[in-house]
Amino acid sequence: MTTVPPLSKIGFTCAYTPLPLIRAAGFAPYRVLPLGDAPDQAGQWLHDNLCPHVKRILDRAIVDDLPALAGMVIVNSCDTMRRLADAWQRIRPDDRLFLMDLPTTAEERAVAYFTTEMERLAAALSDWGAAAFGDDDLLAGIRTYNEIASLFEQARNRLATRQIPMAGVRLQELYNQAATLPWNETLTNLQAFVDELAATPPSHDKVPIFLFGNVLPDPQAFQLLEESGAHIVSDDLCTGSRLFHPIDTQAAASPYHAIAAAMFTKPPCARTFDPQRPARLAENLLDRAQHYRAQGVIGYTLKFCDPYLARLPMIQQKLQQARMPLLLLEGDLSPGTMGQQRTRIEAFIEMLR
Amino acid sequence: MMKAYFSDLVKGIEAKIEQAPSEATPRKIFALEVARLGERLYSGTTPVAWCGVTAPFDLLGAMGITSCFVEFVGGMLAATGMEGAFLEEAEQLGFGRDTCGYHRAVIGAAEKGLMPVPDFLVATSSPCTGGVATVENLARHFEKELFVLNVPQPDNPAGVAYLADQLRDLAAFVTAHTATPLAPDRLAQSIQLSNQACDLLDEAFQLAGHIPSPAQGNEMSNLGIVLALLFGTPAAVTVATAYRDAFRQRIAASAGNGGHERLRLMWIQNRIQFKQPITEWLADAHGAVIVCDELNNITWDAIDPQDPWAGMAERAIRLCINGTADHRTRLLQDMARRQKVHGAVNPCHWGCRQGTGARGLIADSMKQIGVPVLNLEVDCVDSRNFSEGQVKTRLEAFMEVLAAKPSPWQL
Repeated sequence: MTTVPPLSKIGFTCAYTPLPLIRAAGFAPYRVLPLGDAPDQAGQWLHDNLCPHVKRILDRAIVDDLPALAGMVIVNSCDTMRRLADAWQRIRPDDRLFLMDLPTTAEERAVAYFTTEMERLAAALSDWGAAAFGDDDLLAGIRTYNEIASLFEQARNRLATRQIPMAGVRLQELYNQAATLPWNETLTNLQAFVDELAATPPSHDKVPIFLFGNVLPDPQAFQLLEESGAHIVSDDLCTGSRLFHPIDTQAAASPYHAIAAAMFTKPPCARTFDPQRPARLAENLLDRAQHYRAQGVIGYTLKFCDPYLARLPMIQQKLQQARMPLLLLEGDLSPGTMGQQRTRIEAFIEMLR
Repeated sequence: MMKAYFSDLVKGIEAKIEQAPSEATPRKIFALEVARLGERLYSGTTPVAWCGVTAPFDLLGAMGITSCFVEFVGGMLAATGMEGAFLEEAEQLGFGRDTCGYHRAVIGAAEKGLMPVPDFLVATSSPCTGGVATVENLARHFEKELFVLNVPQPDNPAGVAYLADQLRDLAAFVTAHTATPLAPDRLAQSIQLSNQACDLLDEAFQLAGHIPSPAQGNEMSNLGIVLALLFGTPAAVTVATAYRDAFRQRIAASAGNGGHERLRLMWIQNRIQFKQPITEWLADAHGAVIVCDELNNITWDAIDPQDPWAGMAERAIRLCINGTADHRTRLLQDMARRQKVHGAVNPCHWGCRQGTGARGLIADSMKQIGVPVLNLEVDCVDSRNFSEGQVKTRLEAFMEVLAAKPSPWQL
């Protein structure tokens, strides 16, 4: 029996990374998640008032708590990500690193510019040892990516109406696997999960909650939410549903353009917004919470995250106007800190019962 | 209230200059032109645009728009000691104290009705994520149209072309609001005035590096970043000329800091905006003179008045507050060498991920050329947490280190 050698990994840190392109170039995308127990050292290079997501990733880079990476792709999604790229280069000067620019708005010029950024990334990947690849390879990468996105959507849809013990924990584990493991493994595990959901009888004893925020990769956090009586009907998180979202190749001028357009049409991180509708993020969150028949919304944001800190007041106001209960939690990704929020979460859920 | 404040300020400075023309320092002339800008903003006679820091103020001026970056309001409130109430207003609305004080102050000012209602807003993705979010919030508050300029981070032809195209789109957006198309001749004239002001400013900045420096006290504070608001107007040329000429005269007359200058300092990023005695105390107690500010730097080439789009795009892209930390530290190192500084002070404005976020990288780069950096922990706008004693203690220790250390330059 012959074994297929594992693909070289390309590290990434943001849901705006064009994963199908990395896959088409013959690499395995590997998300450097802000998990683990690397000592807290990033502040000496950056500043302690930078978001814990970036600091914990940098902590991992400092102590080399990383698999072998053929390169690193960091998207200029916010000030802090840009600073991560700066610090990464200083700390690991021998690493190959690509800083990818990303506009904040979604008009056609922005899509066209991001397309050129992807072409620049494609050239860098070639320099990093990618086998020659063309549009067909990129379309194949998109197809696999879309399969994963579709399975995640099926899982979420089933979870929206079925309360299955520890389902949120397992879904988050699958999100983390999809971000870090080869996609064929993800497809197998995800299909099994979807099948299991279909065969499991639902229960209805927990309170349906819509969860939004930036980064919450720790499955234990979802365990705590469930133990507190919350049933997460859907999420809007960078480490959750925002990473895999279907890419439509039908109307696009090229596969590159299709990926670029998809980046700007999927549910946005707070850093991307619509100048025509400045409060659109809040409207979208409310729409989705109502669509999933959530009884309340929990917002989990990391300290010092400017894109969310600046938009939380408008989100609060929008949800308040719609009489949608909201609980805002702030965290720093330290192990166990979510546990400190237990009492507040339990009280919120109790209030909704 | 603000209209009357700026009108009184203009009248007061004009009267002083008229009474004693020989005492019309460059700082006074600068203050007068800034006050006149404030007066125009609040006059209600011209269309107004609230903008991000890297907006093309000369282009907007050429189209008859009085424009200003929103952080100016935060700085102005702090300078007049009024920021506290506006910061509290924003905090009560849910804007956390971990966010930038400039932005909280302007949100509070808008909520309290202190800012004139703009005709439209122009956000810029550079320098910071917080800034673009603030302008988005203001657009929502004022219910006015918002245009966003995405300033690319890489300095490459695709980025320049992308921004140049957006600038053309901005001109069309303005025309849609004013019903007045852009007049190429007027834009060319505006760009010529910008180029002239930049040449003069650049010369003034170089002269400030003379040993001893002709720059005194806080007179260079905020100059580069605020004068950009007047680019494209004769006022910018007047101010820049005043600085250049004053510095030339002081050097010729050996009337700068003379024998008092023992240590030469660079100030990184923005100055502390509220009143405090640090600069004077540094000079008086330690002979330490701020001879250059990071933001007082012309980092772009002259713009072609006949075809200014690419040049305006390059200007925004090449600013020290845009791009990678490597780009920024190269500019800082060049400035430190040119101005022969002994050390640098970085206030590390609390809440600034863009600027302060690179502080360790900046300190490391400056160390490579023998220039120590003191990182302070200050909110440059919010005076409520300012501890003069603590800051002085840290500066005092830093001055001792610098005094005991040989200069990295041949002085």
